[in-house]
Amino acid sequence: MKKFRFFLIMLFLLVILIGCAEQKLLERVGLVTLLGYDLGSENLLSTTAVIRQVNPEFQSNIEIINAENETSKGTRTKINRKVSKKVVPGQLRVTLFGQELAEKGIGQNVDALSRDSVISGSLFMAVVEGQAEELLTYKYENIEDIGQHIFKMLEQNIESEQIISTTLHEVAHDYHSIGEDIAMPIIKREEELILISGVALLNQGKMVGKLPPDDSFYLKLVRDRFEAGTFEASLKSEDIDSSLMKDPPKELSVVLDTIKSKKNLKLVKQSTPEFDLHISMKARLLELNEEIDLGDPKNIAKLEKGISKFISKEISRIIAECQEMGSDVFGFGEKYRSSVRNSELTNEKWHELYKEAKVNVNIDFTILRTGTLD
Amino acid sequence: MKNAIQLNPKDMINAVLLFFVIHTTQVGVGIQGFQRIVYQDAKHDAWISVLLAGLATHIIAFIMIKTLEMYSSDDLYGIHQDVFGKWIGNFLNCIYLIYCIAAFFTILKNYIEVIQTWVFQNVNTWLLTATLLLLIIYAVTGGLRVIVGLSFFSFIFSLWLFPMLIYPLEFTGNSSLFPILESNMAGILKGAQSMTFTIIGFELLNVVYPFVKEKKKVKKHVHLGLLMTTITYLCFMLVSLTYFSEGQLNKTIWATLSLFNIIKFPFIERFEYLAICFWMLLILPNLCLYLWAAYRGVIRMVNISLNKVVWIIAFLTFLSSQVIQTRTEINKFNDYFAHVAFYIVFVYPIFLYAMAVLKKKFSSKKEHV
Repeated sequence: MKKFRFFLIMLFLLVILIGCAEQKLLERVGLVTLLGYDLGSENLLSTTAVIRQVNPEFQSNIEIINAENETSKGTRTKINRKVSKKVVPGQLRVTLFGQELAEKGIGQNVDALSRDSVISGSLFMAVVEGQAEELLTYKYENIEDIGQHIFKMLEQNIESEQIISTTLHEVAHDYHSIGEDIAMPIIKREEELILISGVALLNQGKMVGKLPPDDSFYLKLVRDRFEAGTFEASLKSEDIDSSLMKDPPKELSVVLDTIKSKKNLKLVKQSTPEFDLHISMKARLLELNEEIDLGDPKNIAKLEKGISKFISKEISRIIAECQEMGSDVFGFGEKYRSSVRNSELTNEKWHELYKEAKVNVNIDFTILRTGTLD
Repeated sequence: MKNAIQLNPKDMINAVLLFFVIHTTQVGVGIQGFQRIVYQDAKHDAWISVLLAGLATHIIAFIMIKTLEMYSSDDLYGIHQDVFGKWIGNFLNCIYLIYCIAAFFTILKNYIEVIQTWVFQNVNTWLLTATLLLLIIYAVTGGLRVIVGLSFFSFIFSLWLFPMLIYPLEFTGNSSLFPILESNMAGILKGAQSMTFTIIGFELLNVVYPFVKEKKKVKKHVHLGLLMTTITYLCFMLVSLTYFSEGQLNKTIWATLSLFNIIKFPFIERFEYLAICFWMLLILPNLCLYLWAAYRGVIRMVNISLNKVVWIIAFLTFLSSQVIQTRTEINKFNDYFAHVAFYIVFVYPIFLYAMAVLKKKFSSKKEHV
């Protein structure tokens, strides 16, 4: 009987406890799905929030509100003053940075986002060419919910391995890491569309340069690995064995898909760092813009060799470009740190070394199959 | 040997259950954020520190069981009284008792801090404390068998948390573990010492021992339980080291919870909220056993009923939980507690064993004369 009384008291208390938690009824809050950060006037932070308000009777409507303040949480209070429903960031899916702000540094924002326990580590981050506010406030003809639209676009492209994955966790990881820099997709508005226009390269949270979208394939190849990627290579005549075609055209375009890649990076020299980068790739050949007899194993071998040569040339070019910009998005520094005992590597020290680093690229490319035709 | 506890077989537990008791008292609030504390000392060799700390628990448990075996069926409190006499023995008992209450308090406070940071920012400390305390009182007044049952279910029901580590694995790279053994030995050992707060709990064997039915099987199940804990911690440490980068791990207070932050299911978007609420089941056996151990100490000195002891300690805990409120204070208290716990759990048993052996030799000589 005594036990029973205890149990009753407990149950009673637990029931009361429900009332103590802050209620967040869906109809009474505005869900922030996307945040755009810009450099505002007088070095303030300008935040543009895409707020989705769920209405049980009508279609949910989207509000886009901008405010300026010293900190990101400060702008949230200001945004709250402009809306009828309390703004909550739990459904935040995407954070965009205006280019100007990215060049000044995004570290503070990344920290603020990781600090907030309400915000998920899997939200996507990207840089906007120009101002984020401009991109978000434009009245698009065919896009109803811009927050959802940008999220789906990034998600779809990351899942199909077109661009590198940039979740908050990965960005924070690279930001706090010694030997690896952040790389982020760049998006921009073109007429009525929003598209991915390249990859931003950062150095310690500051944007220092960018690569065109086609190069992001190579970036991912070195930085990450492919499970099932797609890629079009335009081989120059010097890459290909001349006997492959009767009258060699200027370019031979090859489309590859279900690319699987594996990378192996080795540090071979310490003083001026020298790396051996070996990447083995397996792919299916999907399309050719020339008539080549693929039934002949010799031709396949020649083609494989040509593609290997082409890719390794491209990778060397991109590494050199990134070295010039001073952004180690490939994580060579991490390899250096983990291979050299007591290196006591710091970010500055590595970026000095990185400029002089040499990378020997070696690609091993295999055509697995050629579709249903030979 | 005059202090031996006479027990009704109905109140005793099977040796197999010791596995669950040992494992669940070790795993509690510590696992939510032990990575950072160890990392600060041992850097990326922190996993070696975890292994060393695990090894230390085995050695200490071995010595503890040796000491307990010298007395057929007695607990630490009784041994104290026998070895050191009434006054010093009771003084040591008081220290141990305070230690148990402090452990109880620390666990409770840390868990509530996690709830307030992650889930309910606006709920008052006193309400959470009171609710949890009521639940604990309910369980402890049921006696040891109820608490051990709780341990068993806590283990079984939390097994599913383990496979959740697979999700963060997607974002890991093994390069952050190399070069192995780059930190110096002092750092690694210091890291192992920093594991104290996370790995303690098994010392409660000192109090539970007389209640075990098959004394011969104690060794096996205790060591199995310790091994299970070490493996669990090692897995969490390895995944955290590879998932977070250097600077990140230095900053993340609850690395385990932040690991779960990335997990997303179609039916539950924020997995860590579920994990944190579920964590209550993990810390309940912890809290109950410490409270129960404190009660065992009290009745050695004063004739008082279980209910009264439990209510008094709960009330004291409730009051003191109002004093310590901020993160800095909690951190400070954790540090103090971990420091004292290190000596009580890892150093003192060796001393006690030596004393018990000496005492035995001394008294057997006397008998011969």
